[in-house]
Amino acid sequence: MTMTKGWFISMGVVALSVCAIAGSARAADPGCIVLQNIAEIEQASTDAKGAKSVKLVPAVKVVPGDTVIYTLKFRNSCDKPAEKVSVDNPVPEHMAYVAGSAVGPNTEISFSIDGGYRFAKTEALRKKDSDGTERAARANEYTNIRWVMNHPLAAGAEGYARFRAVLE
Amino acid sequence: MTRLQLALAGCLVLCVSRPSMAAGTAAGTSIQNTAQVTYSIGGSQVTTPSNTNAITVAERLDVNVTLQSGPVSVQGGQVNRELVLRVTNTGNGDEAFALAMTSAIGGDNFDPTPATPAIFFDTDANGVLSAGDTAYVPGGNDPLLAPDAFVTVLIVNDIPTGLANGAIGFSRLTAQAKTGIGTPGTVFAGLGTGGVDAVVGSSGAASNATGEYVVSDVSVSNVKSATVLDPFGGTEPVPGARITYQVLVNATGSGSAANAVVDDAIPANTTFVPGSLRLNAAALSDATDADAGEFIPGAGARVRVRLGNLTAAAGTQTVIFQVTIN
Repeated sequence: MTMTKGWFISMGVVALSVCAIAGSARAADPGCIVLQNIAEIEQASTDAKGAKSVKLVPAVKVVPGDTVIYTLKFRNSCDKPAEKVSVDNPVPEHMAYVAGSAVGPNTEISFSIDGGYRFAKTEALRKKDSDGTERAARANEYTNIRWVMNHPLAAGAEGYARFRAVLE
Repeated sequence: MTRLQLALAGCLVLCVSRPSMAAGTAAGTSIQNTAQVTYSIGGSQVTTPSNTNAITVAERLDVNVTLQSGPVSVQGGQVNRELVLRVTNTGNGDEAFALAMTSAIGGDNFDPTPATPAIFFDTDANGVLSAGDTAYVPGGNDPLLAPDAFVTVLIVNDIPTGLANGAIGFSRLTAQAKTGIGTPGTVFAGLGTGGVDAVVGSSGAASNATGEYVVSDVSVSNVKSATVLDPFGGTEPVPGARITYQVLVNATGSGSAANAVVDDAIPANTTFVPGSLRLNAAALSDATDADAGEFIPGAGARVRVRLGNLTAAAGTQTVIFQVTIN
């Protein structure tokens, strides 16, 4: 009974903090960790002195060949550490994962080539061609990306995962 | 495309394992991404989806014009000589293209005279200007092309008289996206397929290709005649009768007909007489070898004689061969 009580209390805290962050009026309980999914593109510009800079701007319109940077931000808004935190992102339809682009502090990153059934490190991902020969899977054949945190996410702590994908 | 067709095309892209179209993902497609987080807290496992973000694919304006015909041999004074080109929508949305042609181009020996009208669609798809082809009317029937689709276009010129043999004249077709052109990256807000933004692609949303006419003031004529000799000394075409075919080839004009070849099929129900092939009275072996001609047996049996670069100065070339009626 004590545990149940604690659970409900922490839920109340989460609901409040979500309203504060997102301003949403969601009735459903979002849990301790809210995953914020952001899509951005790089915008290159040159200032008056001719210095070039690149900044991230929200992805509103893209054309084939454009690279989108997806950032998944998460924060533990409960008062207990969250364990076995894992973030999963299927590579969006019409997009191809950019080799080597997945990053995430304090995470182990693995990939799937079968729609998320099995995950493995890049070097262990093998694909069979139609003639039966086996080869390393190509980055554009990855279907899912998974980040698993290698330590618990402390109460109030934040983290992020990020990858790039090209519009086909 | 109608809305339904677009919806079907979208379904195909989604349902049939991501075909890799050259033009890329269709304009108007919504790219949706949803991640999820899984964790344990207080011993219970929780899975929560992220927000879904959706990015709309803008229309990329791109076009490619390619020349389909090699240098076209013409003679001075000819009218309605066509060059064949192809306009391909290399963008990712349905787009109409404005076409224009010019023959006033530097770097050549003469300017062909554009016919009126000078741009036709190869409506009957036979690769030449013919009665079934529709004239292009700017703003009237600008070709509307789906992504990766192309239209075959003929540009038509008359050839001036008094040109030197070998003179070259250029003519050019230009296609521009009707939505707009500009430096790559230029945005036309809301003007793309279905109201999405349109963005100028690497082609600048315009493309052109230049073809050439080469004056070759030569015309080649050939006259074929047959003489029958029957086994009884008469001229009846009965089985066993021998037919002697004579082909006379003549070049007229100041030019040279490059690599002229006489290629004549052995008629049905007849058999080639071995060793009967002659060029200008000189015997040619039946085998395919160093001499100018040969008999090619089998299905589509024929004789072939190479006359080289034929000029009027070479005079009449006489090819003779014989067959027997089966």
